[in-house]
Amino acid sequence: MRRKTRSQGTSAGGPATTTAAERDGSAPAGEGAESGRWSSKPEVDGARAAAPSLGLRGTLLFLWRQLTSMQTALVLLMLLAVAAIPGSLYPQRSVNPALTEQFLAENGRWGEFLDALGFFEVFSSPWFSAIYLLLFISLIGCIVPRVGVHLRQLRAKPPRTPSRLTRFTGYTRVELPAEQAEELIETARRSLRRSRYRTEVREEKGGSSVSAERGLLRETGNLLFHIALVGVLVCVAGGSLTSYRGQVTVIEGDGFANSLTQYDSFEAGAWFDETAMPDFRFTLEDFRASYVQPGEAGKVGEPRSFEADVQVSTPGQEDESRTVQVNKPLHVPGASMYLLGNGYAPEITVTDPEGTVVAEGPLITVPMGDTGYTSQVVLKAPDAQPEQTAVVGFFLPTGTIDEQGPRSLYPDALDPQLALTVYQGDLGLDSGVPQNAYEVDLTTLTPVAGEDGSPVLIRLYPGEEYEAADGTTVSFDGLRRYAAFDIAHNPFERWILISALTAVGGLILSLFVPRRRLWVRVREADGTTVLEVAGLARSDDPALEGDVKTLASRLTGAHDGNRPPDAASSGHPAADADGGHREGSAQ
Amino acid sequence: MINQQLAEISNLALVVTIVLYVLALIGFGADLASSSQRRSDARLAARDRAEARRVEQAATVGGGAPAGGAATALADAPSGGAGGDVAGEDAAEHGMTAQRFAFVIASAATALHLVGVLTRALATQRVPWANMYEFATTSTAIAMVAFLAFSVRRTELRALGTFVVGPVLLVLLLAQTFWIVPAAELTPSLQNSHWIYIHIGVAILSTSLSILGAVVATMQLLQAKHERVLAERAATEEFPEHWGRFGHVLDRLPSSASLESLSFRIHSVAFVCWTFTLIFGAIWAREAWGRFWGWDPKEVWTFIIWVIYAAYLHARATGGFRGSRAAGLALAGFVAVVFNYTIVNTVINGLHSYSGLG
Repeated sequence: MRRKTRSQGTSAGGPATTTAAERDGSAPAGEGAESGRWSSKPEVDGARAAAPSLGLRGTLLFLWRQLTSMQTALVLLMLLAVAAIPGSLYPQRSVNPALTEQFLAENGRWGEFLDALGFFEVFSSPWFSAIYLLLFISLIGCIVPRVGVHLRQLRAKPPRTPSRLTRFTGYTRVELPAEQAEELIETARRSLRRSRYRTEVREEKGGSSVSAERGLLRETGNLLFHIALVGVLVCVAGGSLTSYRGQVTVIEGDGFANSLTQYDSFEAGAWFDETAMPDFRFTLEDFRASYVQPGEAGKVGEPRSFEADVQVSTPGQEDESRTVQVNKPLHVPGASMYLLGNGYAPEITVTDPEGTVVAEGPLITVPMGDTGYTSQVVLKAPDAQPEQTAVVGFFLPTGTIDEQGPRSLYPDALDPQLALTVYQGDLGLDSGVPQNAYEVDLTTLTPVAGEDGSPVLIRLYPGEEYEAADGTTVSFDGLRRYAAFDIAHNPFERWILISALTAVGGLILSLFVPRRRLWVRVREADGTTVLEVAGLARSDDPALEGDVKTLASRLTGAHDGNRPPDAASSGHPAADADGGHREGSAQ
Repeated sequence: MINQQLAEISNLALVVTIVLYVLALIGFGADLASSSQRRSDARLAARDRAEARRVEQAATVGGGAPAGGAATALADAPSGGAGGDVAGEDAAEHGMTAQRFAFVIASAATALHLVGVLTRALATQRVPWANMYEFATTSTAIAMVAFLAFSVRRTELRALGTFVVGPVLLVLLLAQTFWIVPAAELTPSLQNSHWIYIHIGVAILSTSLSILGAVVATMQLLQAKHERVLAERAATEEFPEHWGRFGHVLDRLPSSASLESLSFRIHSVAFVCWTFTLIFGAIWAREAWGRFWGWDPKEVWTFIIWVIYAAYLHARATGGFRGSRAAGLALAGFVAVVFNYTIVNTVINGLHSYSGLG
């Protein structure tokens, strides 16, 4: 964004784009004054000088001007970049809560200190929010006056032709034999208009001039970019107030109906209306996974594909079979469903010593993150008699038990087995403290011992049953898979995308549309006609000089009568040489 | 299925490419050294001429001439330098100069580089940018193509060859030693999505442009410093010298203002590309993970890159920050790009863990 625009006209470009003004070593006085008006607000330095003599209102004005100055914006931008860094170096609660807790546990005091400063919630921390809010306030404070200025500019006529053109880019002066000055001006105006310049013909002493301007789209784009950024921020805020997101785990053969009680975890914005949740249900019919097999290219055991076949029913529509994959979410009106995880659910039956079945059916196990999908088994049987029972251990899709303990060698269920230990005692479920279903506190429990008195590690294959010394039995009846889905909806997503794309559109205009002025002046004196052409780049504009020269030679060429004006294309190799030659010979 | 034969051809091509880049680097280096030599010769000649003229003037006019003599000598110096260049180009017309050799070898290397990238793509039946190694080989290939395209007509830019081939070679060596992984199929998170073409394609383009932009911005900073010192010394010395041989190399490069303008053009395209990288990434993230933005480390660092480049563009339009300070910001942006590519990919754990390492 261009906040301070003074001297912009003379700052353009390197040697290729050096303006006449730069070569002379001084800015054209007229341009300086003009761009002062064009500038959206006074110099900060001016405000600083005036501050001491002003009261409260003056101080506020001073602060406001400081805030909306370009320097402040720059500092805020750099601060924003720096402030985001800890968000990538420290685990973030919103991204990975488990890792955050682990970090806190490992770092004691230092962790608490960082936590108090908000280093684990950087992007919602007061300091990060302060930076971006200030940045956006600064941006709005800068944009609003500029919109007004720009709107006036759009309606205004191109400014007066400067009295001396010699200092400007590509200045070309040609003396022609007495010509129809008006006709020349008219040709110039038409030619410029065809090239999409806004033109204004003005009568002057001894002749007339065309003042032309192009590239207001640059500023339009610039403003559009910044307004659209505000739009992005507003839509993101709107989204976080109204969106929801939840996680569900569904075992093969089971179903899910979209209601709050069915979610494992659920979070929603403050304005989220739970009654507006779309009514849909689905059944997970099959989950397939494939992995790199030994002998194939790639790391053995690395996943190749995950596919979940679901039968979806939405109100008013026929049931349909769909396959949800990574990158291929399921969209239903008002919600989208993403396949984000999977695992194994071995069917385990536990009977207590009295012969009562206290646990039965598929049990969701939690993969521990290794390639082999070694998964944690935690089964709680609070109703077991005489003592509450927990079965804890591992599910191994392709299992082995060696000196490293039970582990899985390959993620697919080639040789599925369970490695379990049975515990008995108080599960602590009555303490009132909410418990994680996938965790158990072993301190109040004792493992069931074998004949030698040491805890028994039970190894079970599908179809096998184990009976402990006290009569508790554990059996591995079968194996199913489960899939974990995220279900989410953000009503503002579309608007965020539209705003973002608008911003890029504006950005492209503001970076690549050259903004420039061009003047053609014709004066008649002593039987000759003097034609002057010059331009002023108001942005990086290496092509300006060439365009000015081309226009000059086209005008002189046209008035030779040799060539119609349209035929002289800008790329015409003879155009420049022609003009130069004529200029030389005329003098 | 992976075509192992093609994968091996790709590996071989890239190894040979590295060897060719080493040759090209030697050529470009030799060219810089010889330009420094030519420049010294030209300056000696100019000094002799100036000396002769001064003696002449002293003989004819008597006193008061030395100042005028110095002025003509100063005026001679640049034209002498230009003469040296012209001589160099004359030689290039007729024979093989170090620079021409380097340019030809670099072109051949780039062609082979592209062959390596394409055979990798054919071997795996997918885009060649699914892991760090492939991303590195592809983006350096694009940086080289861009450099060759820029300098095929603007021959003065070829003097920058050392500073482009050098970093490219460095990245390729890193890729070949640390990041190389066997050709393999895509992981599920990269499958079934056309965004892998768009998002990563644009990211590669952005990275390449950032590399080029950083090279130009660095040269701009050095050149600005060089020019400033030379201007200071020109007030007191007849033949200002600065940074010895490296100074002579800088004398041959475009002016700092011209480099600044080039740097700005590269960075403004890069900024647009980074913006698209963010937007397309957000769209893909929404399709793959169910949210368009999640402060994943890669997202955070791309955001940081974007913000720093935004600051650069603003600094360029702010009084007191133009020129060298703005170039400093552009380089800070490049540091973020490098960090995002190396540390974030290998050390920090996130959802964008596609390096294929570890």
